[in-house]
Amino acid sequence: MKQFLLPVSMLLMAPVFVVSAGAAEIEPAQLDFFEKKIRPVLAKNCYMCHSAEAKTRMGGLSLDTKQGMRNGGQRGHAVVPGDVDAGVLMAALRHEGKLKMPPMGKLPAGVIEDFASWIRMGAPDPREVDISRTQSTIDVEKGRGYWAFQAPEKAGFPAVRGVAWPRGAIDHFILAKIEEKGLRPVSDASREALIRRASYDLTGLPPTPAEIAAFVADDDERAFHKVVDRLLASERFGERWGRHWLDVARYAETIGRTRNLPFPVAWKYRDYVIDAFNADKPYDEFVREQIAGDLLPYRNRSERNEQQIATGFLALGAHDLNEPDRKLFPMDVADEMINVTTRSMLALSVGCARCHDHKFDPIPTKDYYSMAGIFRSSELRDGLRLRPRFNSGYFRIQKMVTLDGVPDYSGEEAAELRTKRERLWQELLVAEEARDRAKTRKLARELGDMPVPENLAMGVVEAEQAVDCQVNVGGDPHMLGDETKRGFVQVLFPKDRALPQIGENESGRLQLAAWLVDRENPMTARVMVNRVWSHLFGRGIVKTVDNFGKIGSPPTHPELLDYLAVRFMEQGWSVKNLIREIVLSRTYRLSTDFDAANFEIEPDNTLLWRANRRRLEVEALRDSLLLISGEMSAERPAASPVHDFSRNQLINTGNKQVERWEVEETYRSVYVPVIRNQVNRFFETFDFPEPSETHGARDVTTVATQALFLMNSDFVQAHAQTAAERLIAGEKSDAERVRRAFRQVLSREPTEAEVEKSLAFIASTAEALRSEEQPRRRQSRVKAEENVEDWLFAAVTALLRRQPTASEMTDAMDYMSEQQPDAEKNVRDVKRFFVNNEGNLRRRQIGEFVELLLGRPATPRDFDEIAAFLEDARRQARRRGAPMVRGPQEAWARLYHALFSSAEFRYRG
Amino acid sequence: MIHSDFSRRNFLKSATAGFGYTAFAHLAAQEALRAKTFQNPLLPKQPHFEPKVKRVIFLFMQGAPTQHETFDYNLELEKHAGQKAEMNLSIGKQGGKILPPVYKFDRCGESGLPISEVFPHLQQHADDLCLLNGMHTDTPAHPQASIFTHTGNITFVRPSMGSWIVYGLGTENQDLPGFVTMNPPPVGGAALYGSAFLPATFQGTRLNIDPGEEPIGNIRNARMSLEAQRRQIDFVQDLNRGLLEKNEVDNQVEGVIQSYELAFKMQKAVPNVMDISQEPEHVRALYGIDDKVTRDFGAQCLLARRMAEAGVRFIELGHRGWDQHNKLRERLKTNATATDKPIAALMTDLKQRGLMQDTLIVWGGEFGRSTFEQNNGDGRRHNNRGYTMWMAGGGVKGGIRHGRCDATGAAVENKVHLHDLHATMLHLLGLDHKQLTYRYAGRDFRLTDVHGRVIREALV
Repeated sequence: MKQFLLPVSMLLMAPVFVVSAGAAEIEPAQLDFFEKKIRPVLAKNCYMCHSAEAKTRMGGLSLDTKQGMRNGGQRGHAVVPGDVDAGVLMAALRHEGKLKMPPMGKLPAGVIEDFASWIRMGAPDPREVDISRTQSTIDVEKGRGYWAFQAPEKAGFPAVRGVAWPRGAIDHFILAKIEEKGLRPVSDASREALIRRASYDLTGLPPTPAEIAAFVADDDERAFHKVVDRLLASERFGERWGRHWLDVARYAETIGRTRNLPFPVAWKYRDYVIDAFNADKPYDEFVREQIAGDLLPYRNRSERNEQQIATGFLALGAHDLNEPDRKLFPMDVADEMINVTTRSMLALSVGCARCHDHKFDPIPTKDYYSMAGIFRSSELRDGLRLRPRFNSGYFRIQKMVTLDGVPDYSGEEAAELRTKRERLWQELLVAEEARDRAKTRKLARELGDMPVPENLAMGVVEAEQAVDCQVNVGGDPHMLGDETKRGFVQVLFPKDRALPQIGENESGRLQLAAWLVDRENPMTARVMVNRVWSHLFGRGIVKTVDNFGKIGSPPTHPELLDYLAVRFMEQGWSVKNLIREIVLSRTYRLSTDFDAANFEIEPDNTLLWRANRRRLEVEALRDSLLLISGEMSAERPAASPVHDFSRNQLINTGNKQVERWEVEETYRSVYVPVIRNQVNRFFETFDFPEPSETHGARDVTTVATQALFLMNSDFVQAHAQTAAERLIAGEKSDAERVRRAFRQVLSREPTEAEVEKSLAFIASTAEALRSEEQPRRRQSRVKAEENVEDWLFAAVTALLRRQPTASEMTDAMDYMSEQQPDAEKNVRDVKRFFVNNEGNLRRRQIGEFVELLLGRPATPRDFDEIAAFLEDARRQARRRGAPMVRGPQEAWARLYHALFSSAEFRYRG
Repeated sequence: MIHSDFSRRNFLKSATAGFGYTAFAHLAAQEALRAKTFQNPLLPKQPHFEPKVKRVIFLFMQGAPTQHETFDYNLELEKHAGQKAEMNLSIGKQGGKILPPVYKFDRCGESGLPISEVFPHLQQHADDLCLLNGMHTDTPAHPQASIFTHTGNITFVRPSMGSWIVYGLGTENQDLPGFVTMNPPPVGGAALYGSAFLPATFQGTRLNIDPGEEPIGNIRNARMSLEAQRRQIDFVQDLNRGLLEKNEVDNQVEGVIQSYELAFKMQKAVPNVMDISQEPEHVRALYGIDDKVTRDFGAQCLLARRMAEAGVRFIELGHRGWDQHNKLRERLKTNATATDKPIAALMTDLKQRGLMQDTLIVWGGEFGRSTFEQNNGDGRRHNNRGYTMWMAGGGVKGGIRHGRCDATGAAVENKVHLHDLHATMLHLLGLDHKQLTYRYAGRDFRLTDVHGRVIREALV
C-alpha cells in the first residue's frame, strides 16, 4: 500500500505542499551545502536500498526524506542533528562497527567529513515530504451533511391511494413509491409459495409436505403468523442467520495467506454466532461482545466465557505469518480489525484511509490511525505467531485465551496429557535456549500433534501497554508522521457531542463498542436492518450492503430504512422482531408474477412491485437435498474436523478430510469447515464468498460448472437415489409418487400435464434402463478416491495399526519420494513402492520404511499387514466399480435428479 | 468469434414450438426487454483499443529460475568472478563470491541474442524472444512472490491476472473455460488462479492433466450414457421452459437453461480438447511426448496450443523445481531439458498455424537468483531485485534484450517492475491497465493498483 507517494523531486517543485517549518528556515548556504555535498551522495549510494522509489527500506531505514533520516530504522536514529557521534549513520560510514555502509565500499574520507559537518550544522534537510502529505484537506463538518451520517428519524407514513393494500407501516412506504412510478403491486403469492419462501428465508430449508398441507388447510387469519413464529423458534433459524453473519465476519478455520495453518477452535465462535441468533441476543449486545467481550461485566463464568469467545470476531483475520517486516505485521493486523469492524458494522471502508485520506468519504487518515491505536493496544490471540526461529512451531496455546472454569483436558487421560504437554513445553524451552535446531523442531512438532486443550478460545485481550499510533505516511510503518490519539471516526457524531473517553491504560475497545451501538450512531442500526432486508428480498434498500459511503448506492427507500432502523432500536435491537415485522408485511407476500406494464416501466423491480426470484445459496441447496433424501442430521457436530488437524499441518493443496466432509457428513452446511485458499469445490462453484474479507452480499452466477455439478456429481445422484428409495416405500401409486416428489422439492402440486410428462419420463427411463443402457463402471469415483494422500494414509495406517500423525505422514512421503520420485503425483507409483512389477512385495524397501516409521526392524507381521492392505485395496476398488442400482428405483432417482436440477428449484419464488 | 450455437434465437424457436404463434409474437416483443437485462458475462467484449494479441500463454517456472545461466548473459559476472558481493533483501543481507555462469551462452539467430546452451531448441527462436533482463519484484519469498506474480498484490486476496483479462475481454469459445491453468504449484494455492472479488465466473479453471483423470470435476457422468442424460436434460428444460412461459421474462431461468446446454456441450468439448492422442505422430514427437524427459511438459505445451486454437483466452502452464540453492548444474540442466524442446515446439507449431502473431507468450518465475554462489559454487540464492522473464509473440520486439543487472544482481538499467509487465500484457490485449477497473469495497481496483507502466521500448 505504498501508493500516492510523490517522487521527491516533484514535491520540491511544488513548494506549496511544504507547510511545516523546515525548508523555509534553512539558510541558503546550508541548503546549498546539502544539495551539493549530501543529496548527490545519498542518491548515488543509499537510495537504492533505502528509499520509497527503490521500494525497499533495508533495516526499516529511509534516507530519502528528512523524517526517515531522523526517525531511523531498526537500529535507531540515523542522524541526530548537531551530534555527530549519536546516530547510526556516521558509525556506518566510518566503518566503526559491524555495520559498514555503503556495502560496495567505504566512501572517500572527504565525503564522510562532509556528512559530519552537515550533522554539526543541524542536518538541515529540505526533503520534507511526509508531513505535508498528512495535512488533511477533508472538511469533516461538511461531510456530516451526507445522508448516512445523519441520525435516522422516523417519518410519518406516506399517503397512498390504495388504502386497502397495506398491512402495516412497511407496506405504506413501499406502495407510495410504487404508485409514484405509476406501477401496481401484483397479486399475493399462493400459500404454497409463501410457506416455501418463509421457510427458506428463515431456516434455509424447504417446508415438508406435511407443513405445507397444514398451512394450506389452516383458515385461522393468523395462520401465516403462526408459521413465522414456528420458524423463528426453530433451531434451524440460527443456523441460517448465523451463516449470514459468518459471511460478514469473514469466518474461516485457517489463517490463510502464505502459511495456511489451522485455527483449531474457530468453531467456538461459529457456534456462539448461531446461538446468539437463536436466542435473539439483542444486536447491540452482540456487537459489544464481539468488539469488547473480554471487558464487559458478567454474571457468571459461562457468560464470561461466551463474551470472550465473541471476541473471536476480531481474531479470525487472514494474516501472513511469513511477513518479514516486523513493523508492518502489527499494522496489518490492526488494519484487518479496522476493516472487518467498520465494513461489517458500519458499512464504511475506513481501511481506505490507511495510506491517504479517504478518496470519497470524509474519513481523514488521522481517524484511521486513531482506530489503529485502539487495535494496536489490543492483543491478538489467534494461537499462531509470526515466523518463529528454528522451526519451533507457529502454534502456541499461550497465544490463545483461556476460558474460565473449564478443565484443559477431561476424561481418563487428562492427567497424562497434562503432564506430557507440560514436559514437552519445558523441554522445548530448554532446546530453544540451547539453540538446538533439530530438537526444537521435533518437540514443536510433537506439541502441535497433541490434542488441543479444551479450555482455549480465539479472541483478543488488552495489550500489556496501551499505545497511540503515529500516522504511517503512505501506509508505510517506517515513515512516521503525526501522532494521533486513540479514538473513532469523527464524522459519525456531531462535533460537540461528548464521546466515550478512553483512559490512559485502556485500549479503547470498550469505548469503541459503546460508540458503535450508541443510539445516536447513525450507521449501526441502519446497516443491520439493511442486511436483514437484503436477506429477505434479495437486495438491500441500500444495494451495496457493505458500503453506505458515497461510492455505495443510495437507498431506494430512505424513509423506510430510517423507520426500520429506529424501530429496531426501540424494540431492543431484536433481530427476530425485525424479521417478523418484515415477513408479515404484504410486500413480503407478493407473488413473483410477471406484469408487462410494470416491467416496461421498471424491469429491475427495485421498487418491489413483485417478489424477486432468489437463487438458492449453496448451503440451502445442499441442505435441501439432505432433507429431502431424509439424511439430514439435525445435530450440531461436536467441534469441527479442523479441531483435530495437527497444528503443524499446512493447508494449501487441499485436504481430503475436509473435502469428504461436505459430501459424506450429513450435518447442515453451516458446519462444513471453511478453509481459506481452499474453499471446497462444491461451495466455490456456487459462489460461496471468499472468506478473507467481509461479504454481506454473495455473487449470484449461473455458470456451466454449476450445471455440471448438478448433472454429474455423485453427491446429487446419491441423494436422488436415497430419496427415491424412500419414495417407493412410502407411496403406492406412481401418480402419487410424482406428486409427493414435486411437493418435497418444489413445495407445490404438479399440474396434470406435469404428472403426465413425469410418468412418461419414468416409463421411458425404465424402458431404456432395461434395454439400451449398459451398466457403466463408476470410473470417476474410483479415480477420485485413488489419490496419493488417501492411499498413503491408508497404507501407513495399516502399518502402524493406528492413524498416523501429520509428521509421520510427512516423513513417510519424504522417504517415498526419495525412493520413488514420482510418488507425489501418482498412486501407481506409490503402489510400486510396495510391490514390484511381478506383484511381489518389495521387502527391503518396506523394511526400511517400517524402521523409519516405527523405529524398529520390520517383523513378519508388518509384511502381512501390508499384503493384507494391498489385497483389501484391490477388493475395494472392485466394489466401488460395481454397477448402479437398476430398475424402477433408478428411474425415480432420475426424476428427483431432474427436479433438483430445475430452475424452479435453484431459483425459488 | 465462435459462438455457442445455442443462441437466444434457437432457444426461442424451441420454446415457442409448444404454445403457438400468439405466444411467440408476445415473446418476441419481450426479447428487446430481455436483452437489456440478460448478458452472458463471458461473451467476447470490445477491448479499449486495437489489440495486438488475442490470448496469453503464461509459462510459469516456479522456484525462481536462475537468469545467469539461462537468458541473462551478464559480463559483469566474468569480470568480477570470485569477488565478494552483497545484497540487502527484506529477508536480510546475503552475500558471497560472484559465480560466473556455469553454462555457456551462444550467440543465436540473426539478432545474435545470447541464450544459454541448456536451451538448444529455444536458441532457434532467438529472434522472437524479448528478454526482460531488468525485472524486479517486491519480495524474495516463494509463496508471496508467486501470488504477487499472479495478482500484483501480496497483502490482500486479489484477482489473478487471467481473471482480470477474462473480465475485460470475455472469451471466444463458450464451450470451454476462458481461463485455464494446468499444474499450478502448491505455493500460493488457489490464489494463483482465483477471482477474489470479481464474480466467480472469471476464476481460472484448474485442469487436471494427469492421464486418466477427469480434466474438470464432474465433467463426465459415471452412471448415465449421454443419451440417457440428454433425455433427462430435455425433461428438465421442459420444466424450465414451463416456468419461463409463466414468468415470461426471467433472466435467471434463461441463464439456467443456457447453462445446461453449455455444460452438456462442455462434456464433449473439454475432454476433446484435452485428448492429445488425436494429434498426429509427428506433432507429438515435435513436443517430445515420445520421450520420458519431455513428456509431461510437452503434453502441457501441446494442450496449450490446442486451447489457443480453440479460443481460450488465458492459458497457464506450470513447471516446478527451479529453486537451485544447490546442485545448480545438474538440476538446471534437468529443468531446462524438460521444458526446452516443448516450449520451442509450441512456438514452432503456433507459427505454422499462424497463431503466433496474435498470441503472447510469457516465460518466467516469481523472482531470480543471486550473482554470488551458495553451497560450494553449485547454487545461487534468492534475488528479487534483478531477474529475467521473456515475452514472445504479437506486438513484441523479438531478438532484443531490455534491461541490465549489475554485479550484485540488482537491476540497474531499464528496470521493469512486475506491475509494468502486467500493464504491458494488458496493453497487448488492447486493455488500458488504468481503465480496467472493478468497483469493490468502496473503490475501483486494478490489476496494477496505482502502479504500472507499459514497456513501450519492448514493443513493436
